[in-house]
Amino acid sequence: MSETVFWKRLKKRAGQGLRSRGVLSWLVPALILVTWQAVVQGGWLSTRILPAPWAVVTAGYDLLLSGELLRHLGASTVRAMAGFVIGGSIGFFFGLINGGYKLAENLFDTTLQMVRNVPHLALIPLVILWFGIGEEGKLFLVALGVFFPIYLNTFHGIRSVSPDLIEMGRSYGLKGAALFRQVILPGALPNILVGVRYALGFTWLTLIVAETISATSGIGYMAMNAREFLQTDVVVLAILLYAALGKAADVAARLLERRWLRWNTSFLAA
Amino acid sequence: MGIHGDKGLEIRLDAVRRRFGERIVLDGLTTRFAAGEFIAIVGRSGCGKSTLLRLLAGLDAAQDGHLDAGGGPLAESAGDIRIMYQDARLLPWRSVADNVALGLEGGRDRIRALALEALAQVGLADRADEWPGALSGGQRQRVALARALVHRPRLLLLDEPLGALDALTRIEMHRLIERIWREHGFTAVLVTHDVSEAVVLADRVLLIEDGRIALDQAVGLARPRARGDAVFAQLEGRVLDRLLTVWAINPRNQLRGRVSAIRADGILAEVEVEVTDRHGNRDKVISTLTTRNLREHALEVGSEVLAVFKSSDVALAK
Repeated sequence: MSETVFWKRLKKRAGQGLRSRGVLSWLVPALILVTWQAVVQGGWLSTRILPAPWAVVTAGYDLLLSGELLRHLGASTVRAMAGFVIGGSIGFFFGLINGGYKLAENLFDTTLQMVRNVPHLALIPLVILWFGIGEEGKLFLVALGVFFPIYLNTFHGIRSVSPDLIEMGRSYGLKGAALFRQVILPGALPNILVGVRYALGFTWLTLIVAETISATSGIGYMAMNAREFLQTDVVVLAILLYAALGKAADVAARLLERRWLRWNTSFLAA
Repeated sequence: MGIHGDKGLEIRLDAVRRRFGERIVLDGLTTRFAAGEFIAIVGRSGCGKSTLLRLLAGLDAAQDGHLDAGGGPLAESAGDIRIMYQDARLLPWRSVADNVALGLEGGRDRIRALALEALAQVGLADRADEWPGALSGGQRQRVALARALVHRPRLLLLDEPLGALDALTRIEMHRLIERIWREHGFTAVLVTHDVSEAVVLADRVLLIEDGRIALDQAVGLARPRARGDAVFAQLEGRVLDRLLTVWAINPRNQLRGRVSAIRADGILAEVEVEVTDRHGNRDKVISTLTTRNLREHALEVGSEVLAVFKSSDVALAK
């Protein structure tokens, strides 16, 4: 399938989705928003409990103008990406060697499986003791959260590559790096990408917790700071920002899947 | 640039032996395939025919004996030997043309040209940029054939490559394989269950039983061969007869006995058979089958039965 055909099909499917669901599916959220705004404006609900939606929008706009919003957003994004890259690379590395070599699996897998049973957020007190409230602790937590989904899915991906295809590759003269690049890695990719999506979820979850507990910048810090000054609009804004960032990461992962797994007809149909 | 087959490889097997644990799969096999000859190997499943093919492909090694190709050890000719499997084994993440180009070295354009030329030979040049997932079973096997041809093999091994195809597609594939074999002049070794397929394609049909060659039948018919032909039918009948005889007289696969107990629940049933071996020792064998299947046999305790099983189906348990 050529690139253009692929994109046309994507657009077509998106178009069908809009038409079939139509405006109807947006009716309920819109109603909720209107009611919410009315209830707060009418004084039935204190803004200390929940700010009006419009207040959240204006708070966001003000913070954007002051530069605060972008500073915190940037800080959180950099942390998320750095932690993801560090934890993801280590997880990918161990997934590869443990999936590829029995010796490595025997040596490392049991240990890793034991560590996996520790909820990484339970380490927060220890992490604060080790690293203080600096960047290292948060990177450590995010990396740890990202490590396992990537490790497990890479490992299973490598293991699930058909031995028939590997044998075929060998009999056609592929070995070492060529065999890995042309047969093993593409075969493991669907699983690895599932791991990436899980890991992205963990990235934001870890970051939310880590930033609310100890930070001097980032969206979590912004929310905790706002809480002290009873700025519920900023708190709600922070929550919505986390949701949007999580969604953006998921969409990015989906795009990667569509780009890299376009050969997989069962995937495209899903 | 054209794909011109080099002359086929001559293959010599001398007392080749392959064991898996206690089981002897190839038992001192000796034969010779002339350069450019088309050999078909038939035999029941588990007779060792696929093992022989894997040895020739270098995917497995013999414990005893010699395999020579073109006057030297087989391993030295590895680059001249290609295999087609029962399933096409295409890489689903590469386009048809890129699958054919697997393992080729050189510039992009040259590789592409070679792949397209091989695809044209199997009649699939127009599908070059599709994913293998979009092809039918027969088309995938044709791509697999093109992938083998692009390396200009001097020995092409075919491991029941048509087993999963429908009858019409098989006949098309027979014609294609025969035409390509004649153009390229490689030595071909086809493993198949289908005696008629063997007689249609091969210069010689080898029947392997218990790791040895039980029948070496030359097929002197002019090509292309017609299945309706009387001589064809006679040859096919001869090989089939031999295949069935070997199957029926093989005493190790049969046990005569008397049903001593039948136990059945809603789903599964066990039939216990008291048997006597050739030394007069009595023993019991238990056959497990579905209760529904049991009802189809008029079995009761005391019935005389003949237990038949494939040698390849025997599993040992302590």
